[in-house]
Amino acid sequence: MHFVICAKQIPDPDTPPSAFKIDETKNEVVPAPGISPVLSQFDGIAAEAALRIKEKVGDVKITVISLGKESAQAAIKQVLAMGADEGLLLEDDAFENGDHYTTALVLSEAIKKLGDVDAVFCGRQAADWDMGQVGLGIAQLLEMPCAIIGKDVDISDGKMTVQRVLLDGFETVEMPLPAVVTVSNELGEPRYPKLQQIMQAAKKTVNKWSLADFENLEATQVGEQGRKLKLEKLFIPASDSEVEIIEGESAQEQASALVSRLKDAKIL
Amino acid sequence: MLISEKNHRMNRNKEILYSIINFLNQYFFSFIFSTTFILVILSGLFLGIGIEQSTASRQIFFNVSPWPIYLLLSVLTGLLVFGVIRHGSLWAIGKPFNDWRINIPWRVQNTVRLGVMQDKVRRDKFASVMHWCISSSIIVLTFVTAQVAIEDDTPLHFLNGNYYLFFSFYGDLFGLIGLIGVSMALYRRYYDDFHRIRWDERVEDHLILWGLFIILISGFFVESYRISITELENFPEWAKWSFVSYVLAQFNGIFDFSEELLLNMHTISWWIHVLVVFFWLTLIVFTKLDHFLFAPINAFLLRTDSPGRLSRIENIEEQEVFGVGQIQDFNWKQLFELDACVRCGRCTEVCPANLAGQPLSPMHLIQDLKSHFNEVAPLVQEAGNNGDDVRAVASRSMVGEVIKEETLWACRTCGACVQECPVMIEHVPSIVDMRRFLVMDEAKIPQTAQAALENLEMRGHPWKGTALERTTWMEGLGDVPIFDGTQEFLYWVGCSGSLVERNLPITKKVFSLIQASGTSFGVLGQEETCNGDPARRLGNEYLYQILAEQLIDTFKQKNVQKVITNCPHCFNTFKNEYPQFDGKFEVLHHTQFLEQAINDGKLEPKKSVDLDITYHDSCYLGRINNEYDAPRNILKSIPGLNIIEMDRTMSKGLCCGAGGGNMWQEEIGARRVNHVRSEEAIDTGADELISNCPFCIQMFEDGIPSVEPNEDGRIKPFDIAEVLYHSIDSSQEDN
Repeated sequence: MHFVICAKQIPDPDTPPSAFKIDETKNEVVPAPGISPVLSQFDGIAAEAALRIKEKVGDVKITVISLGKESAQAAIKQVLAMGADEGLLLEDDAFENGDHYTTALVLSEAIKKLGDVDAVFCGRQAADWDMGQVGLGIAQLLEMPCAIIGKDVDISDGKMTVQRVLLDGFETVEMPLPAVVTVSNELGEPRYPKLQQIMQAAKKTVNKWSLADFENLEATQVGEQGRKLKLEKLFIPASDSEVEIIEGESAQEQASALVSRLKDAKIL
Repeated sequence: MLISEKNHRMNRNKEILYSIINFLNQYFFSFIFSTTFILVILSGLFLGIGIEQSTASRQIFFNVSPWPIYLLLSVLTGLLVFGVIRHGSLWAIGKPFNDWRINIPWRVQNTVRLGVMQDKVRRDKFASVMHWCISSSIIVLTFVTAQVAIEDDTPLHFLNGNYYLFFSFYGDLFGLIGLIGVSMALYRRYYDDFHRIRWDERVEDHLILWGLFIILISGFFVESYRISITELENFPEWAKWSFVSYVLAQFNGIFDFSEELLLNMHTISWWIHVLVVFFWLTLIVFTKLDHFLFAPINAFLLRTDSPGRLSRIENIEEQEVFGVGQIQDFNWKQLFELDACVRCGRCTEVCPANLAGQPLSPMHLIQDLKSHFNEVAPLVQEAGNNGDDVRAVASRSMVGEVIKEETLWACRTCGACVQECPVMIEHVPSIVDMRRFLVMDEAKIPQTAQAALENLEMRGHPWKGTALERTTWMEGLGDVPIFDGTQEFLYWVGCSGSLVERNLPITKKVFSLIQASGTSFGVLGQEETCNGDPARRLGNEYLYQILAEQLIDTFKQKNVQKVITNCPHCFNTFKNEYPQFDGKFEVLHHTQFLEQAINDGKLEPKKSVDLDITYHDSCYLGRINNEYDAPRNILKSIPGLNIIEMDRTMSKGLCCGAGGGNMWQEEIGARRVNHVRSEEAIDTGADELISNCPFCIQMFEDGIPSVEPNEDGRIKPFDIAEVLYHSIDSSQEDN
């Protein structure tokens, strides 16, 4: 079998708030100095899901694909170290500044070009924009079934079984292969790679495809030109919070004062 | 095994006993000196008495024949040779250990100080006296016996006249000393409260002790019968020199035994004596008695560099196995020291994890490794000889099954076990070697520690989720000089000093104090990254080497020569571990710098700080880098401050619980180490708990409220710099 993991490199979500800056004239996030971009955490979990199945089933090739800049090699290597077999970087100036649609389009074309893919694993959402669209987009464009926000994924007898996280519980869905799944953090932490694997991953060459490698794609369809979503304004929301200390002689008094304040504020 | 020292409160009689023992321990400096001292003084006295030249002597091997001794001696020698070869060939399955060739003079000194003079044994005062009595008795009596053999079987004859009388006297004296030692040992083994020596008690322990007891008693009886028969009536003046047997012989006189009976009793007791002696000597080959050989050798093999330095894995990318996963991955010194262990339990008694009821006992760890070694080493040897796969012979995995993962993770690398071990076993490097295997080879690591390591890789610091920046602490301090190579010192703030809220005031105060001292210095600010210490302690040597090499490059590019660190862990890494990677810098912990500044008059603690404080030695400044004085001198220089020491202090200080990467782990076990230590600090009744390490401060900030919920008058943890800052005249602060 052949699995694909889609991995995105994002600005570090652990950037201290004071270092997070936005250029409002360009509608862009200004990279924080000295803070390197990281693999989106959900994509690491998607890789974990794929690797668990590989451990169980055995004969599986895993390709990790990332659409991004040269620096995204680090994210690909990280997944390779975890145990993926091949890396593929989709890099072209024309791909830059795209949206969820163009990303899904290029990724789906790449998966098509790989040919024999049985399952695609994505994170439930990228931890920077948190849109959660790309996985579904790939499924749509490839005309594959898709289950989102999975906490448990299994493949057997040509079928993928996904336990999905719902607001009030779980549901289990079964899909014929090939299929797409987006994986949530309930699945568990991504594994810590063995040193042997880290060193093997460091030696592996990551394949690179640019726009020219895709016969079906034109520059106008991808990147900034292909965007279907227009970004009107990017800004850090002002959060004004007031603190009120609730006075009272006793704990009971304070508690009842708190309750009446919460009722006034229509929280209770 | 939870040991609370409160259960060991001594009663009054014990106090008197211990005061005598204290005295002896203090003034009887060491085994070899005191034994020689006694003999020299006695011989001086003896000559001084000026008794007439005596014609005293006795028939050697009276009533018995020496042949069984030589027969038994040759069997024993054979056994000893067999034992040494058997052990030696098994140690050889280990990896090479070449360090023993360097620093030979230092090693010889260690052998004398720690092996012969038994410096470490003397850290337990009772054992010090007991062990001295037994070991000096054995050595002197062996010497006595050898003289008998020489007298009998060589042309040399000297056991006559005054020397014979002196010989009789010190023979009896050391026999008596031996009995005192054995009595102390019997007391510990059978009557003392629950004692550490009974944590792993075996048949051999009883055999050794009772064997020695029988040897000494029967020796006296043999002598008393001989005296009764040959000396008591004819030469009573000679007999008195064998003062113990002389008294016994008087008792024989009371019963009015016939000479025939006395002769028979002499023969029987002589045979008992000789057979038990040789039985006892064979125990050397098969039991912990081998420590009398192995302990001095292990003292020779003991590291001569800092205990804070972990070994470097050379050419790490070319290794087949990372760290130690199987017994043959240890080097032969690490295997050798397994055989030196005597199960005394001193390591376990001081282990912070064990004190908190967590799953680590250094003694049991060494013993478990030893039995695994005895089981597997012959198989490894055989497989090696046959050209089979040596990694396939062990039926149980050493790391994971024989030694549990949680045992390895519970270690604080605080070095208390290594410090106490009387046979110089180094537990910590072996534990970290096995952690290396877990982390790098098997990728098995506790979740929270993994998060810290991943954070190190991704963000260059272990504090996942911190909202602070490396420059946050600078707010409100005006112009903070950035190090550019022109200043004398680099002030190294460290990740904890800049990214953990509680430590920012400490960093600010250290900064202000350095500034107030008029020293030329700068900081790296945004360019600081972790120096790799947590990675190394947690077993990720690969990550450590990457971080260390990067930082050494940065230091060299910026022409860093002298460094002041906030944190004793950074201090240890720069001072002891960076030289392994050709990073040699002059490193001071902030307490050392501040002490110097006070001595030089650059800082003057003037304002009185009227507080009772207790001082906690961080492991990496205290025990591991031997700096107990600088912080105490600072505290003493502050007017008004009253220092109350905790029971466990200085080299016996207890870890706060954070060391060895446990800052980033969930603790498993009955209690938390920081709660245990916080209680000890609370027990002093002090107002403030002063330390020198950001980890300690964090552990106490968390631990004190947990064990003492009442906020009124509760002890508060502070860094030494915070106290000093209060005492410096405010006019200096503005400079």
